[in-house]
Amino acid sequence: MSARTLGLAVLLLGTAAGATAAQDPRLGRFDAQTRAAVMALLDSARAVGLPTEPLLDRALEGAAKSASRDQIVAATRRLAGHLARARAALGTKASLAELEAGAAALRAGADSAVLAALRRSRPRQSLTVPLAVLADLVTSGVPADTAAATVLALAPITSDDALIEFRRDVDRDIALGAPPAGAAMVRGGSIYDALNAEGPRVNPPPGPRKP
Amino acid sequence: MFEHEDEMLTRVVEHLKRPVGVDPALDGRVMAQIAAEPVRRPGTTAAAWHWLVTPRRFSLPPLAGLTAAAALAAFLVMRGPAAPASQTTAFQFVLVAPQASSVSLVGDFNDWDPSMSPMTATRQAGLWSAVLPLEPGRYRYAFLVDGVHWQSDPTAPRAGDDEFGVPSSVVTVGGT
Repeated sequence: MSARTLGLAVLLLGTAAGATAAQDPRLGRFDAQTRAAVMALLDSARAVGLPTEPLLDRALEGAAKSASRDQIVAATRRLAGHLARARAALGTKASLAELEAGAAALRAGADSAVLAALRRSRPRQSLTVPLAVLADLVTSGVPADTAAATVLALAPITSDDALIEFRRDVDRDIALGAPPAGAAMVRGGSIYDALNAEGPRVNPPPGPRKP
Repeated sequence: MFEHEDEMLTRVVEHLKRPVGVDPALDGRVMAQIAAEPVRRPGTTAAAWHWLVTPRRFSLPPLAGLTAAAALAAFLVMRGPAAPASQTTAFQFVLVAPQASSVSLVGDFNDWDPSMSPMTATRQAGLWSAVLPLEPGRYRYAFLVDGVHWQSDPTAPRAGDDEFGVPSSVVTVGGT
């Protein structure tokens, strides 16, 4: 295949992709100016290999809530940045759900290094739930480093359901008046100790533990 | 009487021993007849099977073999592991809104379209409910009451980044 033929094929494919994006009926929910701005953001994200569905969801949320064009563009652009950082930390093979949860964790205040450490701690399992729990803990007021240490300690040794239950327990404790950091450490320590009774583990969560 | 039978047997044996004369042109007529018969080709299926099971020998340059092996390995690596089958969990959303006349569940799972997931008023007055199948992931959502008022889920974590001035909640669905 000659270079010219290959270039023509690439051009046709790119045009088709752009046409497809333009024909997405969901884009009709924006006014013309907002739609153009959103499409430009989607095209930029697509060009660097970022998933566009989360970006469109964020823009649609803004449209549903009658946000201004500037608010929609700013929120979408911010999410694109977090998705890029999440992909850099989690790797190019990260799933869409992992990238979304990772972006949420970064948005909440977690560090990229924590995402990378989670990837190493759970190389073959999905990180969607640990990342989501990390984001929720920080949003609930648990200090970022405490939340990170707790999730890093629990993620390799617990199931997704157990992590979700852990987060609910922490939320409940906080709602009952417990300090967020203490609630996370106590709940995390209880789970760790219960699992540790089965054998030695590494990297226990921070904070006070039951004797 | 026995002598007559012996003589008969002798005459039969002598007759059978006499050489048989064959027309020298017989061979030629037989071969001509064979040549005149239409050629019968083996059936397609039988021929294909025969071709498949017949061992063959062919030569392949080492470089071509290595290239083919490398291409196969690259294909297997790039394809990656088989994608796991999609699994959804039925998740129930509930809101207590005794004064509402309509409530919609709106979020990432339905493109933030208020018309997609209207909630159902249960028998218990003021309780609205909706059940959605959700794949593992983290979803932002909120309730739209009477088509006007946005409300977060008081039983769920807040989204944290209320970038549009209206609160949202999050739900995390696990895969294990």
